[in-house]
Amino acid sequence: MASPVEQFALKPLVPLHVGGVDLSFTNSSMWMAITVIGVTAFLTLSMRSGRLVPGRWQSMAEVSYEFIANMLRENVGSEGRGYFPFIFTLFLFILFGNLFGMIPYAYTFTSQIIVTFAMAITVFVGVTVIGLVRHGLHFFTLFVPSGTPLVMAPLLVPIEIISYFVRPVSLSVRLFANMMAGHTMMKVFGGFAVLMGVLGVAPVALLVALTGFEILVAFLQAYVFTVLTCLYLHDAIHLH
Amino acid sequence: MRISPDGTRRAGAAAVLAGSILASGVARAADDSGVKLPQLDIQTYPSQIFWLVVSFAVLYVLVSRVAVPRIFEVLEERQERIADDLDKAQTLQSEAAQAQADHEALLAEARARAAAAVREAQEAASRAGAEREEGARARVAEMVAEAERRIAASRAGALENIRDVASEAAVEAVARLIDSRPDEDAVTRAIAAVAQDGRP
Repeated sequence: MASPVEQFALKPLVPLHVGGVDLSFTNSSMWMAITVIGVTAFLTLSMRSGRLVPGRWQSMAEVSYEFIANMLRENVGSEGRGYFPFIFTLFLFILFGNLFGMIPYAYTFTSQIIVTFAMAITVFVGVTVIGLVRHGLHFFTLFVPSGTPLVMAPLLVPIEIISYFVRPVSLSVRLFANMMAGHTMMKVFGGFAVLMGVLGVAPVALLVALTGFEILVAFLQAYVFTVLTCLYLHDAIHLH
Repeated sequence: MRISPDGTRRAGAAAVLAGSILASGVARAADDSGVKLPQLDIQTYPSQIFWLVVSFAVLYVLVSRVAVPRIFEVLEERQERIADDLDKAQTLQSEAAQAQADHEALLAEARARAAAAVREAQEAASRAGAEREEGARARVAEMVAEAERRIAASRAGALENIRDVASEAAVEAVARLIDSRPDEDAVTRAIAAVAQDGRP
């Protein structure tokens, strides 16, 4: 039986080397492209007729739009409106990546720490730049929680600074670990099903339940990633 | 497997599962010395980052330039339509209220006019009745007066006749008694005097 983590291996489909750097188009890249096509198709085909009374697909597109719009409004306020396309793209990219990963033999690019970390560090750097541009040096008051007694500052400020810089790590590891653990677990149960013969019915039943659970996790983690991005954005704009 | 504390219970569950696999010896391939996590292979990072940036950028452009404006437009249109319809409903409602008020005012006016007409008619009728009664009374009084006048006239006439007859009879009686005719004028005067003294 293959290792449960073998499914995460990258397979180059179109080798591409630029200046000695391997930029090959891999199975992961392919599923990113499929995600881009899927999201675009979901948003444009469903809205093509733009009916006054929406059908199922149009409803889903509108609901996802309003879901993110409300999330941004509640967490950031009206100042966050300009960042809506980015937040919306981020949510749909992660969500569709997670969901497409549930298709058998598909590749889940969100189970790659480098992918989630790249997204998290982009959010982190972007949010920090937004905060610095908006507030200048005043931005650093973010590390001094309001109402802190001066005596406590030497203790609290380092904690705040550490927690701030841990953000991209926690943000990326949360998504990556959830996706990887889920897919590993499914692979393990799949292996059991094969090995146990007739008794394999039990792991298959468990696998069915696990698949439903993984779909929930796919939604949940996309939501968590997005909502945390909104919260970081709120901190940068409002400084607590 | 290197999983941070943030990897939650589920990662832990996976680890426990992997452990159980090892313990039962089912998965020989999962021997920890032989397993390498593909996620930690730095060689693959440039390609992954490159294609992530490319696909995310493409998706961002598509979402922000094509999808979001379209959804916004549709939602806006619906919002406007709903607001429009609400406005229209409000206008119609106020119009209906106005119409009802008008109708009620008209009804009240009509009722008042009807009451006034009834009152007027009643008054006119009673006035006409009174007038008619008055006229009738006057006519009756006139008739009574006329009748009285006629009765008086006929009585006077009768009295005159009686006087003439009385004077003639007196003259005749005197002539028979004393065989001499008295002066008629004197008799008439005498009778008139008697009649004057007595009842007419």
